[in-house]
Amino acid sequence: MKKILVVDDDEGIVDSLEEILEEEGYQVDSTVRGEEALPKVLTFRPDLVVLDVLISGTDGRDVCRQLKQTPNTKDIPVVMISARTDTRPSALKAGAADFISKPFDVDDLLRSIQKRLD
Amino acid sequence: MPLTKVKHSLPVFNPFARLGRARYSTVAPLATTILAAVLIEFIVNSILHSPEAVGIPAIFVFIALIVYFSFRDGIKGGLITTGITVGYYLYIIYSRDYSGEQLRGSLETTVLLGSLYAGISVVIGWLKQTLDRVIVQEIEARELAEQGRIRLESILDQLPVGVILADAKTNSMQANRYLEKILQQKLIPEIPDDISKTRNTTTRNGKVLKPNEWPITQALREGKRVFAQEIEVIKPEGKRLFLRVNATPIRNGTRKIVAAVSTVYDITTEKEHEQRKNDFINMASHELKTPITSMKLYLELLERRVQKSQDIKTIEALKKIQRQTDRLQELINDLLDVSRIQTGKLRFQKESFDLCEGVEETIEVVGQLAKNHRILFKKKASINVYADRFRIYQVLTNLLTNAIKYSPPESKIIIKVTKEDKKAVVSVQDFGIGIDQDQLKKVFDRLYQVTDSKEKTFPGLGMGLYISKEIIRRHHGKIWVESQKGKGSTFNFTLPLSSS
Repeated sequence: MKKILVVDDDEGIVDSLEEILEEEGYQVDSTVRGEEALPKVLTFRPDLVVLDVLISGTDGRDVCRQLKQTPNTKDIPVVMISARTDTRPSALKAGAADFISKPFDVDDLLRSIQKRLD
Repeated sequence: MPLTKVKHSLPVFNPFARLGRARYSTVAPLATTILAAVLIEFIVNSILHSPEAVGIPAIFVFIALIVYFSFRDGIKGGLITTGITVGYYLYIIYSRDYSGEQLRGSLETTVLLGSLYAGISVVIGWLKQTLDRVIVQEIEARELAEQGRIRLESILDQLPVGVILADAKTNSMQANRYLEKILQQKLIPEIPDDISKTRNTTTRNGKVLKPNEWPITQALREGKRVFAQEIEVIKPEGKRLFLRVNATPIRNGTRKIVAAVSTVYDITTEKEHEQRKNDFINMASHELKTPITSMKLYLELLERRVQKSQDIKTIEALKKIQRQTDRLQELINDLLDVSRIQTGKLRFQKESFDLCEGVEETIEVVGQLAKNHRILFKKKASINVYADRFRIYQVLTNLLTNAIKYSPPESKIIIKVTKEDKKAVVSVQDFGIGIDQDQLKKVFDRLYQVTDSKEKTFPGLGMGLYISKEIIRRHHGKIWVESQKGKGSTFNFTLPLSSS
């Protein structure tokens, strides 16, 4: 079973996304705190991270950059999501595999996740 | 204006200056000449005892007096002096008991001299009067000009708009009071030739303007007319002023630029309000997106659950909620686009793509909303354009959605894509309510909505066509509409063809 970590500061998004992804057959863990993202990656060892760009407290792009700089996490694909479409270039520059703007169709997100995990 | 008292005249030495002006113009020549005549008589009789000895000097004395008075008081002064002199001569002739040849000779001399004196009086007096008139005219003209200047200045100072006058000859500027109030400083009169000599930094669209690029200097030096240009003035202490400036050259009869005038409006508060409003819309739109995201996710979850139960009514209701959520999302996106357009932040990622394919895909997506409309599109050869695919889809969606919204079910909608000298032309024709001629130009305005004959409005915020216009305009294309009330409308736009 593939593992996905969801990082977003909005509980509604985290809860619903977690449920949907579990229904799709993934093992899911999540956090609403940006600074918990890195430790979670190290303990949970996900196959993919869904990461919000603007998380209160931390910047998702910094988290992404750190993941990409750490040898044993740099190969984990990161799909970044944000309500601010203008953050797309900086998200991709930080090493994100894809950027999806909120609000998104679940199918679009699932397609993107599947593509990275194949 | 009351005519100036003729106190302006050539400066002439006046021995009776203190006697009061009005009277002595006749008194002075009278008195002086009599005094001179008595003096000459005294010299001749009591000192020289030889009347012939003073004849010639006396003539010079009298000529000098006549010249003086005719120059001082005009022809009248000269003639009075002449009269007294001739009178004096006659008195001499009478008192010396001349007779015969001597009397005739003396009278002839007197007539001759009198005519000479009168001639001198007339010539010099006329010269003087003409000169005076010229001087008075000149002074009056100067006073008129001065009054005009004072009047203009006080009018300019009263205006609730900043005004700069620049003069080509002196290369200088003058500001009215309001401009000084806006700038909170006096204007340096000399137009600086270099940026290092300016106090404030002037920018337009973030680019620093050299003094040569200021609207006023553009008008003065290059004859350009500047209209509603927005510039920003940054003061040394960091304060920013937003100004809307017009400037126009002033030409003389030979079309040479002699001056320039510039009007300046302070739009700082306006700009700040606009900025705050845009910031708010921007923030609110993003904040609204987060709950919509989770709403959509929960809807998806619900739908998945209900799908298994085969509860058709609930599935229908959920579909409706989903459609409404999508509409809400579109409205938010439109709001964001409007705010992007207004802050100049609408950006494009251009690529080459087939416009016909774009139309087909749009029909596929939007067509689902149509209630039995027959959307007709014949795909021909591909027509490639160089544009932002997502934004052009947005325009196509807007036009097609409008066509559906404003036309009755089961009517036709015809879409055509053609090539016309280096341009692709798209037209979307409907057979709906149409647009009044007087509303035609306004449909592309922000937040404008067409009403039908019963003044009924249609749902929406009227942002779609405004956004579409901006998108097409920024792609160097044209967008326009042809319509007849009650018969339908055709919306058209052009895009540059892809060069490859």
